[in-house]
Order: sequence, then structure tokens, then C-alpha cells
Amino acid sequence: MADSNVSYNPLPDGERPRPTRRRSIVLVLSGLLVVGFLVALLSDNGSIAPANVIDNDNNNVNDNAKNGLNDVSSSSKEPERLRPFTSASSAGVSEKSNRRFGSRTASYPWTNNMLSWQRTAFHFQPQKNWMNDPNGPVFYKGWYHLFYQYNPNGAIWGDIVWGHAVSKDLIHWYHLPLAMVADQWYDIMGVWTGSATILSDGKLMMLYTGSTNESVQVQNLAYPADPSDPLLIKWVKYPGNPVLVPPPGIGAKDFRDPTTAWLTSEGKWRIAIGSRINRTGITFVYDTKDFINYELLRGVLHGVPNTGMWECVDFYPVSTTGEHGLDTSHNGPGVKHVVKASMDDDRHDYYAIGTYHEKNVTWVPDNPEIDVGIGIRYDYGLFYASKTFYDQNKKRRVLWGWIGESDSEIADVKKGWASLQGIPRTVALDTKTGSNLLQWPVEEVDSLRLTSKEFEKIELKPGSVMPLDVGSATQLDIVAEFELDKAALEKTAESNVEFSCSSSEGSAERGALGPFGLLVLADDSLSEQTPVYFYIAKGKDGSLKTYFCTDQSRSSEANDVNKSKYGSFVPVLEGEKFSMRVLVDHSIVEGFAQGGRTTITSRVYPTKAIYGAARVFLFNNATGASVTSSLKAWQMNSAFIRPYPDDDDERHSGTEPTHEVRGSKTKYLGNLLTSSLLFLNARNNFL
Amino acid sequence: MKAILFVFPFVLAVAYFPISQCQNLPLIEQTCKQTPYYGLCVTLLKSDPRSKTAGDVQAIALIMVDIIKAKAGGALQHIEKLKQKYPALRVPLSACKDRFNAIIIGDVPQAVEALTKGDPKFAVDAANDAALEADSCERGFSGKSPITQMNKLNHDISIITASIVKTML
Repeated sequence: MADSNVSYNPLPDGERPRPTRRRSIVLVLSGLLVVGFLVALLSDNGSIAPANVIDNDNNNVNDNAKNGLNDVSSSSKEPERLRPFTSASSAGVSEKSNRRFGSRTASYPWTNNMLSWQRTAFHFQPQKNWMNDPNGPVFYKGWYHLFYQYNPNGAIWGDIVWGHAVSKDLIHWYHLPLAMVADQWYDIMGVWTGSATILSDGKLMMLYTGSTNESVQVQNLAYPADPSDPLLIKWVKYPGNPVLVPPPGIGAKDFRDPTTAWLTSEGKWRIAIGSRINRTGITFVYDTKDFINYELLRGVLHGVPNTGMWECVDFYPVSTTGEHGLDTSHNGPGVKHVVKASMDDDRHDYYAIGTYHEKNVTWVPDNPEIDVGIGIRYDYGLFYASKTFYDQNKKRRVLWGWIGESDSEIADVKKGWASLQGIPRTVALDTKTGSNLLQWPVEEVDSLRLTSKEFEKIELKPGSVMPLDVGSATQLDIVAEFELDKAALEKTAESNVEFSCSSSEGSAERGALGPFGLLVLADDSLSEQTPVYFYIAKGKDGSLKTYFCTDQSRSSEANDVNKSKYGSFVPVLEGEKFSMRVLVDHSIVEGFAQGGRTTITSRVYPTKAIYGAARVFLFNNATGASVTSSLKAWQMNSAFIRPYPDDDDERHSGTEPTHEVRGSKTKYLGNLLTSSLLFLNARNNFL
Repeated sequence: MKAILFVFPFVLAVAYFPISQCQNLPLIEQTCKQTPYYGLCVTLLKSDPRSKTAGDVQAIALIMVDIIKAKAGGALQHIEKLKQKYPALRVPLSACKDRFNAIIIGDVPQAVEALTKGDPKFAVDAANDAALEADSCERGFSGKSPITQMNKLNHDISIITASIVKTML
């Protein structure tokens, strides 16, 4: 045998082959394992088949984004990449994501003129910086109080503390010092939303959410330092805070916004707090006797699958017979209960009407198909984190809502502020339909009305636009009625297609019986206009269905503002005319249809239709019907919202500031002068 | 010797898992799958060393916000240079400067606040706005932009971030 590379000692017969085979097997196996691991390692470093394949142009081949965009504007010729992503799972990530870009106009530079015009005259807003949720609204010792989420340091959300203002009439507000700041470990990351409860003996308790030093959401108790101070300037936090922490199994960031408490028949106070379990939005209920010790009641008051986190839960009774409001603790016959929640996912406020069962602590919706989170919204525009309170002064329930901006950050930074509160509204059950609430601006808004112009039975033929000479058109209260002739309503063909304000072409989409309504914040050439209108669709069974919409698509020549259309179906009963009330206050437009069955709040940022260049028009863009309209339009005064005077005497007496009367006149004249100068300036720019 | 050969693949096996965890691949990939720009998302995160130790989606989101900030800062510097190079584009370039500035002083701080203090929806808003600002910057050139790719990158990074934070709601 020739020399072999393998050297081994010959073994006795029978033993030689085995050791060789075992070692070879081990070597082969090891080699395979090494190769196997290396392959696994390398393939993980490459791309696992991705859901979205990017081709060479960085375009999304499997374009989920395209599928998710519901309202593709046919007039837009922009390449897809310029459209912000809209998640397929929700219609709008936020108002800022719903941009509908129009023509290829240059990016609009915001001038100080345009930006300063945007500040409102009679809606609540702090003098500067960011605001969001209304907090702890309450009527106490002769004053209406409004607290609110506030950033003292900038026009963005952050460093949140409680701002504070007071008013005698829900309209004329005085700014007070910050009520609560983030100075305890249990609210150092944020003094968040809360509610006020007035006890039977008149004591005021405030429960609010704090974000702790570890960003855990807990509930804290606070109360006035001096209950005899009607202005409630100073507040004390209960030393034993927090009084509630997230229950077992609930996320540390899924537990916030305690409600006003209501009294049970056992004499305990009951509160609700929103949360979620996976994708089911829920409301916990707690009982307490002292606002310090709580008992978590078994189960939940209510929950709805696939609605996500419930923020700013509200729970209150409404009378089935009368229009007046009910104390939050009221229960008994002739009462239904409303559950409301703000959906963290889609940034809308939903409510549902149902029956509250105190004993087994449940609430059952009258119609589960329009349950909380899937049914009716308070408002079909920008309106979030809303909260009601019972106004024992005028025996009504009043609703506040946070109205954010729908412009871009560059403008907010430049103008130094962001957000408004909506005009306060009364809420009551619509006794005619029984299935929705009615919301209407509080009656004190009427006190702002100055001169008016009335128009009787104006006939608008199909495709007509008629200017209304109302004088200045940036602070208006318009109440309008519309009638179509019966023949037109009857002879219109039926349609199979379900109409939707948001997916329509807005006021440019001509149907047989609509759109018709008002054009507000429009300029003479109508290059900018905000239509607030009705659209009547005839369904398959011949029934008429009315929609109430606001169309922002041409509201501004700027292209960094929201241009979507808002709105919804509005019930119109037999014999009713089509009616709307529209409040215009600079950059906010609020529409109320059919006495408040459907409401829409929009933020509008014109570049031309401002100051003296703003106009109002009536329009009828229907093809098959003439519309007759009667309306009245009032000029609206400013509410002169300003800081409460520093005079100590007046603070202690708690009366409305008197020295300020002269000051307010001076301020009024000052505002008048400023407005005139700005108007003249604007006119020069316009011309 | 034989023992080493025998043991080696198992040593590799033991070493393999920590290597993949060091890269934090499952979290990055799972997170990026929720965005419309998967490839870009993975590339950005993998090239950021912080992503190796990110423990959850919130940590990933904060890294993305920081990338928005860095890219916006880079954009500002680039814009300054371009102002010298293209004096005819001074107006839209100035507008762009304001827009990227708004991203840095407005959107980024709001996003960081929202994520760290526990109310992420405000971070979604901020990220969406950052995308809008980049778009608006691009529009200002009416088709003759010298920074199209840069704007698109900033836009896409912002959209990725918004998508990621949306999953936290």
C-alpha cells in the first residue's frame, strides 16, 4: 500500500472502520450546521420579503397609501409622493394629514396681515400660545369658570398646565393666573384634563389626570384654596395624591380624563374614566364618598370594540320632555343618559343616547348600530375633547369643545398661538326625533349682535350666486332658511349612489337638488370661498336625504391648509324648511343645521377674503330646482376677552370689573383704530 | 481538536441569537412594516446605533423624530448654501428656510413631548406637519426646485414617523 495521508495505527480487525466513520459523520454534521447558521445569518441581513417594495424611483410598488386615500381630488395633478400618507385604517390621522392640494400654486407666504386677521373676536382663546382640551367648566358663586390645557411656553402642545378664565355670561371672559402647574411628581409630566363636581354642601372638587414622573397616568384631587373666593384663583392639590392609579391589566398610558361625579341613590359619588383593552374602548366606573378613596366597580359602564382608546369620557342625563338641562346627578322617569367619548384614533367626538342602570352599573345604547365611537358625532368638522357641565344658573347643559388649527406649523409659529374653544353650546335631546341631541349657541351669543340686514324670499335659480350686502363679513351671525318647490323635489330621479360630503366634489358637485347655501369668507372674485350648504339626495326608495356640508377646498389660495370637505346627514322632518345658522368669526366658521341636529366647525385661513375684502353670498348650484331663501345677518361685536384687572379690591368683591369699563372703551377704540389701519393696509394690498 | 470541531457550530448557534438581538431586527422590521416606505425605514434605523438597544416602538419613534430633526438641520444648511448659488431662487429658498425652521422649533419638540410624556397623538400631528412643510417647500419652486430629492426624503421620513406613532394609539 502506498503511503496514505491518513496516518493511523492499524487496529485489530473489527475495530478499525468504526472510529473513522464516526469522526467523518461528526465533521460532516458540524460542517452542515456551520453552513446552515451562516446562511440563516446572511439571509436575515438581507430583506425579508417586505410588505412594501420600493422600486428605483422610491415609489411604493405595493402602494397601500394610495388605497387609503379616500378623497383623491381629481383636479390634483401632483405626483403621488407629494401626498401625505393617510392610513388605510382611518379616514384621517389628523386634520394636518388631510391635505388636498389643488393647483400648482407657489407655496404661500403668510404675511403678518393675514395671520393677525385670524385671531377671533368672540371665541375664547388665551392671549398667546397653545391651548387644547377645556377643563373643569363650572358655574360657582356667580361666575362661569373655564380651565383649559395650556402651554405657557409656545404655540405647540407641551409643558401642559391649567389655564383659567372667568365670565359672567360665557361670552365676555377675563384671563386669570394659571390655576395649576406641573409641580408635583404625580403631574410633573403634565397637568391634564379633569372635571369639576359641586357637592351637595356647595364644596367644589376637581379631579384631573396627572402624568407622573414616569409618564404614568393617575387621577388627582384638587380643590380651591379659598372656597369663598368667587374667582377661585388659588388651588390646592390633595397631599395624598394620586387618588387613583391604573387598575391591574390596564396600560399606564390608557387611563385619563375623569368625569364630573354624579350622586347615586345610595348617596355615593360615582365617576367614569375612559380607557381601553386592546382595541376596545371602555369606561371604568368608580364609587367614592370622599373623593379620596375609591371603589372600582365590577366590569365597565360600557365598551365598544374596535374604537380604540376613549378619551374625555362624558356621561350625563337629558330630559326626554323638556329643553332644559338636568343636573348630572338627576335620574328617574323622563330621563335618558348620554355617553360620549373622544376617539384617540380618529380625533372625533362621538355620543350615543341610552339607558343607565344604576344598580348593575351599566348603560345600554338605544341603538347599538350608532353606539359610541361608531355613530353620531357632536360635530362633523374640527371639534375634540369636548366636555359638558350643568349650569345651575340657567338650568341648562353647556358643551365646550377644543377647536384645533388646520393650518401648518409655520403659521402657528409665526402667529404665536394655536387653537380656540368652540362657541359654547346648549345640549338637549331632540324631542322630535328622539334619537339625537340638539346643539345651539348659548343665548348670550345673541347679545353680541349689532346691526342686521334682512333678506326676504330671494329666489335663486339653478346655478346662481348672489352677493349679500351685509357690511363687514368677518364677524357675522347668519340665520337662513331655504325652500325648494315641491314639484322639483318630487320629479327628481332617484339615485343609487350614497352621498357623502367628504368624498364629494364639494359645492362644485351639482346635483338635481343641491348644493345650495351660503358662501362665507369669500372675496369678490370668489377665488376664495367657504360654502356652507345643503345637498339633498333622493334615495333608492324615493325618500329624500339631506346632507349639511362645509367645503374648504377653495377656502384659501394657500396650499398648506386643510382643504377637505366636512359634513353629514341631517334629519329634516315633514313640514320643516331647510334652516341653518352660521357664525363667522375670522378664522372659525360654525354651522348649525335644523336647529342644531348636525353641526360643523371649520378653521378657515383665507389670504384675500380678509378684513374689508370678505364677502357673503347666497348660492344655488343645483341643476333641477330653484331655491327661495330668507335670511338675517347680524354684525357681531367683539367679546373683548382680556386679563382680569389687577386691582385687589375687585378680586375680593368678585364683582365684574368696573374700572375696566373705561379701559374697555379705550380698548374698543384702540381695536377700532387698529382694525381700520389694518383694513386700509389690507385694501392697499388687495388693490 | 475533534472536540473543537464538534462544539464549534453550537458555539456559533449560541453566538447567533445575541447577534440578531444586537441588530434588534425583529422590532425594526415589524415596526417598519407598518409604514409605507419599508426599505427607507429599515435603512435609516439600521444605520442609527441607538436602534440596537431600542426596547419598544416608542423608542424607535423617538429615534425617527431625531432623524427628522437631523435631516431638517441638514436641509437648513444646504438651503443657506443654495441661496448663494441661486440668487434667483431667493424667495422660495427663504420660504423653505422658514418651513424647516418650523419643523425644528415646532414639530420636533412637540413630537418629543408627546412621546415622552405619554400622549402620542400629538406626535402623529407633528410628524404629519413635518411632511407637509417639506411638501410646501417643494411647491414654492413651481417645478424648478433644486432640492427635490432632499424634500422628498424629509417628507418620507416624516410619514414613516407618523405611521410608526399611529400604531401606538
